[in-house]
Amino acid sequence: MEFSPVAVQAFQVGTIALCSPGVSGVIAKIEARFQGRRGPRILQPYYDLIKLFGKESLAPSGSSAAFLLAPIVAFACYLTVPLLIPVLTTYGLPLGTMGDILGGSLILALAAFAVAVAAADTGAPYAQMGSSRTTTFSAITEPVMLFVIFTVGFLTGTDLPYKLAATVTSSASQVVRPSHLLAAAALFLVILTETSRIPVESHSGTNEFGMIEQARSLEHSGPYAALLVWGSAMKQMILYTILLNVFVAPWGLAASGKPLLVAVAIVTLVAKCCAVGFFVTVIDNSFAKLRLFKITEFVAAAFLLAVLAVLTIYLGGG
Amino acid sequence: MQVVAPSTVNGVASTIAVLVLLVEFGMLRAGLLRSQVRLYAAQSLIASLLAVFLGVVRHEPELLILAGLSIALKTVVVPLVVLRLVRQSGTATTGSGILKPAGAALVALAVAGFGFFAVGRSGLRVDGLSPTVLGSAVAIIAVAFVLMIIRNDVVSQAVGFFSLENGVSVASLVVAAGMPLILEVAFLFDLLVAVVVFGVLMRVHHEEQSTLSTAQLTDLRG
Repeated sequence: MEFSPVAVQAFQVGTIALCSPGVSGVIAKIEARFQGRRGPRILQPYYDLIKLFGKESLAPSGSSAAFLLAPIVAFACYLTVPLLIPVLTTYGLPLGTMGDILGGSLILALAAFAVAVAAADTGAPYAQMGSSRTTTFSAITEPVMLFVIFTVGFLTGTDLPYKLAATVTSSASQVVRPSHLLAAAALFLVILTETSRIPVESHSGTNEFGMIEQARSLEHSGPYAALLVWGSAMKQMILYTILLNVFVAPWGLAASGKPLLVAVAIVTLVAKCCAVGFFVTVIDNSFAKLRLFKITEFVAAAFLLAVLAVLTIYLGGG
Repeated sequence: MQVVAPSTVNGVASTIAVLVLLVEFGMLRAGLLRSQVRLYAAQSLIASLLAVFLGVVRHEPELLILAGLSIALKTVVVPLVVLRLVRQSGTATTGSGILKPAGAALVALAVAGFGFFAVGRSGLRVDGLSPTVLGSAVAIIAVAFVLMIIRNDVVSQAVGFFSLENGVSVASLVVAAGMPLILEVAFLFDLLVAVVVFGVLMRVHHEEQSTLSTAQLTDLRG
């Protein structure tokens, strides 16, 4: 028996959607252990979502339809991205080639834009601050992503994530070339900022100055808040999946639609995501947060890696 | 356009060379004198690892002897001497440069890019190695100059000069790995001379000015 490509594609989206709160739960648990706390249950994010879905939702007076539409748009975006990236398989699936890496980044940016618009729409100063700060930060990490994508272009001759994963697994010489390692490191630094780990944000606090990403969704409640929370968990897992299954460790992916292979791929992906989460938590808890305006230094480091990746491959053939 | 992957040996050598370059960039960021010296020790260690790697791959035991000497000298002796001088001076932080770290990184990046570009265009090729290794070596030298130019304390300038030597040794490793051992060792002892000179400079400067900063040197007359 073999799953049809459409079914496997559905599994890709389903894996990200259903496993992402669990991955967040595991990371929260690891983080708590590092800080000497017992921490919440691993399944706590699921209970939180169930609770939020059962609550009533309110909108601030004066807010427009964009406020209520944004969580749904963002969630739909996060459901679309897994179609484009190798979540479970080494081969392209139906609709998998409708967008390249740029297409995937565009959809992620659209989700961020929708949430930022909704936050600005509330008129609440705090949500607006969060929205303007996240937008600014994503604008300054944009050049880094651009250079990472250039590197992918040089490595594979295309900008398809499946192709890079196949290139990386093809031989050891593709793994240890400096351009690949530098681009992966730059992407990792971008993911650290995008998942609000370092340099300035605190991931799970209620300290006002540390919450930037979370501040945007403060005015949302009930099912809308649930969609935003779930969406940000999915975004985290999507970014981890891109790092793992495209750049760093595209191993353990299913080569065909056999149920066993797909099941192994799902388990491997979740395990790999938890491993990255562990690594991220170690970094998050061993470095002091930077002052807000120091973020340019952090991004300059990521930019440096990404530009060096392009330099080594374009001028040095590495 | 797809760039064909270099061989694994080549890839490892390039990666080590790029790591040496990255540590050089780290020195631009370092705000403490002792972290600057430690970064230099780490950089020397990585550069020596390149010598070990090339020695094993090319079956040249001389390179292993050279690596052993350079680890002893550049990751142990020189950093210890400089750290001792720093401790005696009682200064902890580097002089603030004329550029902020992000700006300095961008300037250094442009300079490093020129290094890669120059090697790529010069047509210098080393058998079996991609231009990345030599490009990194030139970029290390260029970034070391940036470090010496933008920092205004004696220790940063000395460390910049020593790390410049690391760039030169990476270049000599790949270009002239067959060079007689005696010449390589002579280079290392050149470094020792530089350490003594810079050590005397640091001490004299600190005794006369009570600071490691070179900012006041512009005011001296006669």
